[in-house]
Amino acid sequence: MSGKSLGLVFFPAFDWAITPAHPEREERLLYTRDQIVEEGLLDLPNIKEFRPRLARLQDAERVHIGVPGLAQLITDAHLVSAGGAITAAEAVMRREVHSAFALVRPPGHHAMRVVHGTRGFCTINIEAVMVEYLRRHYGLNRVAVVDTDVHHGDGTQDVFYHDPDTLFISLHQDGRTLYPGTGAMSELGSPGAFGATVNIPLPPGTTDQGLHVVLDQLVLPMLEDFKPDMIINSAGQDNHYSDPLANMAITAQGYARLTEKLGADIAVLEGGYAIEDALPYVNTGIILAMAGLDYSRVVEPDIARCPRQSETNTRYIAKLVAEWQDIWRRRDELKREAVAKAGDLWQRRRNIYYDDSGIQEQQQETVRQCPFCQGYQTVATQADSRAGGSRSAFAAIIPRQSCGVCRRQAQAAVHNAKQDGRHDHYYLQDKEQDTLEEI
Amino acid sequence: MLLGIDVGGTFTDAVIIADGRIMASGKTPTTHSALLNGIVTALDKVLAGLDASRIKRVALSTTIVTNALIEGTTDKAALLLMAGPGLNLTGLVPASPYFLSGYTDHRGREQAAPDRTEVAAACRELSGTAVAAVAGKFAVRNPLQEQLVAGWVAEELNPACISLGAQVSGSLNYLRRINSAYYNAAVWRIFSRFAAAMETALTERGLIAPVYILKADGGTLPLAAAKARPVEAVFTGPAASVLGIMALAAPAGPAVSLDIGGTTTDIALWQHGVPLLAPGGAAVNGYPTAIRSFWLRSVGIGGDSYVRRENGSLAVGPMRRGPAMSNGGTEPAVADALRVAGLIDYGNPALARQAMASVAADGQTPEDAAWATLRVATGVVSRTIRAMLTEQAEKPVYKVEDIIAGEVYQPELVIGVGGAALGLAPLVAEQLELPWQVPPGYMVANAVGAASARSTTEITLRADTAQGFYTVPELGIKRPVDKKNFTLQQAWAAAAVHLGERAAAGGMAEAAAHSERIYEEEFNVIRGFTTIGKIMTCRLQATPGVLMPVRVREAGV
Repeated sequence: MSGKSLGLVFFPAFDWAITPAHPEREERLLYTRDQIVEEGLLDLPNIKEFRPRLARLQDAERVHIGVPGLAQLITDAHLVSAGGAITAAEAVMRREVHSAFALVRPPGHHAMRVVHGTRGFCTINIEAVMVEYLRRHYGLNRVAVVDTDVHHGDGTQDVFYHDPDTLFISLHQDGRTLYPGTGAMSELGSPGAFGATVNIPLPPGTTDQGLHVVLDQLVLPMLEDFKPDMIINSAGQDNHYSDPLANMAITAQGYARLTEKLGADIAVLEGGYAIEDALPYVNTGIILAMAGLDYSRVVEPDIARCPRQSETNTRYIAKLVAEWQDIWRRRDELKREAVAKAGDLWQRRRNIYYDDSGIQEQQQETVRQCPFCQGYQTVATQADSRAGGSRSAFAAIIPRQSCGVCRRQAQAAVHNAKQDGRHDHYYLQDKEQDTLEEI
Repeated sequence: MLLGIDVGGTFTDAVIIADGRIMASGKTPTTHSALLNGIVTALDKVLAGLDASRIKRVALSTTIVTNALIEGTTDKAALLLMAGPGLNLTGLVPASPYFLSGYTDHRGREQAAPDRTEVAAACRELSGTAVAAVAGKFAVRNPLQEQLVAGWVAEELNPACISLGAQVSGSLNYLRRINSAYYNAAVWRIFSRFAAAMETALTERGLIAPVYILKADGGTLPLAAAKARPVEAVFTGPAASVLGIMALAAPAGPAVSLDIGGTTTDIALWQHGVPLLAPGGAAVNGYPTAIRSFWLRSVGIGGDSYVRRENGSLAVGPMRRGPAMSNGGTEPAVADALRVAGLIDYGNPALARQAMASVAADGQTPEDAAWATLRVATGVVSRTIRAMLTEQAEKPVYKVEDIIAGEVYQPELVIGVGGAALGLAPLVAEQLELPWQVPPGYMVANAVGAASARSTTEITLRADTAQGFYTVPELGIKRPVDKKNFTLQQAWAAAAVHLGERAAAGGMAEAAAHSERIYEEEFNVIRGFTTIGKIMTCRLQATPGVLMPVRVREAGV
């Protein structure tokens, strides 16, 4: 028996669904439950099952600014799912287990900092809530989040886009061919956090072979350089060859080897909608790999269906890896250039679509480039819903370890905006004080 | 009249119950080398002067299976597995298994067929093995492959017993089913020999009543049915006293029960009048099995627990060095402390004081030493109870509702039975700040439990209407259903019929009359955005428990 102990938070939320026939519905983890219970995984001496706690609204509001309020936009299931991730993380922080896997739903990696509704099946970002919880309560600093879901982890990217202490690496099917359409190599983090966002868009049809080339030649060396205090895996499973919502060709063995190589401290389930043909096997493979057990016998019954990687894809991936290696090598120099170019204020405008809620959001984000701290940020947001309603808000965010100037300017920014009165709601998120208040 | 016999580690107890009252009871030392001798002696004590033909039912709780497992006198069984994809089981099961081709997936669909030539080759290698176990992953979803391979093994190897995984348990958990099936085969010969000798002994005494064996979950099995599932006769001792508590005290609210014996205290938690079951099942020789069992924790504290000073501080148990000094022993024990503290009134008081004086610290009176001893002893028990409560509170749940509205388990009563119950149970209750009760008959609660235990059995019905069939693994059944019209209500009706069949086959037709639904699950099967069927799981059991409450004439507390 292996000496590696694994904590498992298994929360299938058998009584929660977006809608009855939605891919994110009650039975999504039913067959996974059947497989892991049938395998007897919960009876192995080095696997310990934990009951998820309920996250508090404050834990979610440490990350998100809900408009008009987060409480109105979420259900209890979201707080259990985020609480499950926190439970897994705490078991690792307290050294009760070597690593932990939060096999929970609903997922979270498409939920951005500002929340108007549900997008990509996500309302709150459970990994981000977990990371900020650990920073608040355990003094954790440098974190790497490796998102292996087939969809670009746009929500997690957004939450940490200005944070140089969080390395966010997303491997995903190229956004030109799949929801949410983002995740190009050019999205590298705002100037102050340049290079802490790494997007690796892979061509449809990428197999285990291509995935492991990227992992070995890019992801693992980046982690080596970044030296995080903790590695988190956003363990989406929809790169599987049988997934109905995407076009990749990864197998359970491919996922298990990835898990073993990555050696994540905490894995949190994200997507994966081949609920019957993939999830039971992929999850079993991941659990065995995390527990240091032999996973070589986890093979899908229909493995013969899995296509081989085309020569074109092999060449494309080799080129992609080479380009990224070049950017990574020059990242300090590129960062200096980006900071110099941005000057005092860095700004961007974006349109964000909420597919599950039918909301179109326009956002203008401003970051003060501060030489003494991470710099405060403001967000002006307006959401137009399919049903016809419109809602706007202005928020200022004071970062952790903020300097006095940024703190005062952020407070002033939100009060000035309120005096101008062009928005419906005004928020001040103070990460130093751990508060979110409506002004 | 009901006759109950409990073979304990120290004593074998027998009782006769008539009209809910204890008519006779007898106690004799357990004869470990020849278990039957002690049983027969206890039997003859309670039967003295009685017409044995008036006994309507005999129920036995015996250590025969538990001891065989502990002593390693069981058979080595051939273990043949159709493991399919997943965990590598090498080293996780009690024997080296033969891995065979063929497997079934989680929906019960055959994904690969078993291969007769492989089975034949394995059987040639195993030639001469007397007993065998066959288990397939997901056989509870479709038992056909397991039955097919078992048929081949019967022809090729001709063992005296073949255990099938899906028949020892209808629940998911392949690892536990393998281990259960293996041990079932391994203890089969020892149990069969014991059962035959027992039947002879009873017949010789003119007992014509049906004979039942107690199970670890407190139910009983007719002796004939127990011969097919002997592993269920493991760990029946603690189950007997738990049932005794049900018969004597019938706690309605949440409670904690203590069976305080000579060497150990067995702790159980109660809810809604029944004890909680061990999640998954009992562990046998360190291997998890699917054998349903009460959730019990045993600590090394009893009336005979050895008391001494270690590095200046008092230590109690977990070992026993013979009886307490007040009862003729040579070393101080908990019973001496109870005597000096005035909590019991048997045993020699002078010798008890001497025992406590020998463990007293400088300037400590024997009374002080006695109370200090009892604080240590009850501290061990209370800490274990608190750990169980924490574990219960942290039990995983799989629904949002259970997290939001889950009730917190908090016992409201301490119930003590067993020899030292009157002395120790009130002290434990005091530490937990709970009221306590020691019911009349507490000295023979175990035998009362054996005598009054009800027969029980359970079945699992799982319907997959998208595929158009249901299975009942315990009966080896797979039947077609109407894909469009089969409902959960029909599933329950079919489950009730099959429970009746299983009960009748086990010689306990009457047991199915009181049944309860213990698990229900229903999920849609969706393809694209269309519902194409439902998956339903219904688990129904003949309600375990006692035939009637039992009263005792002796004065109680």
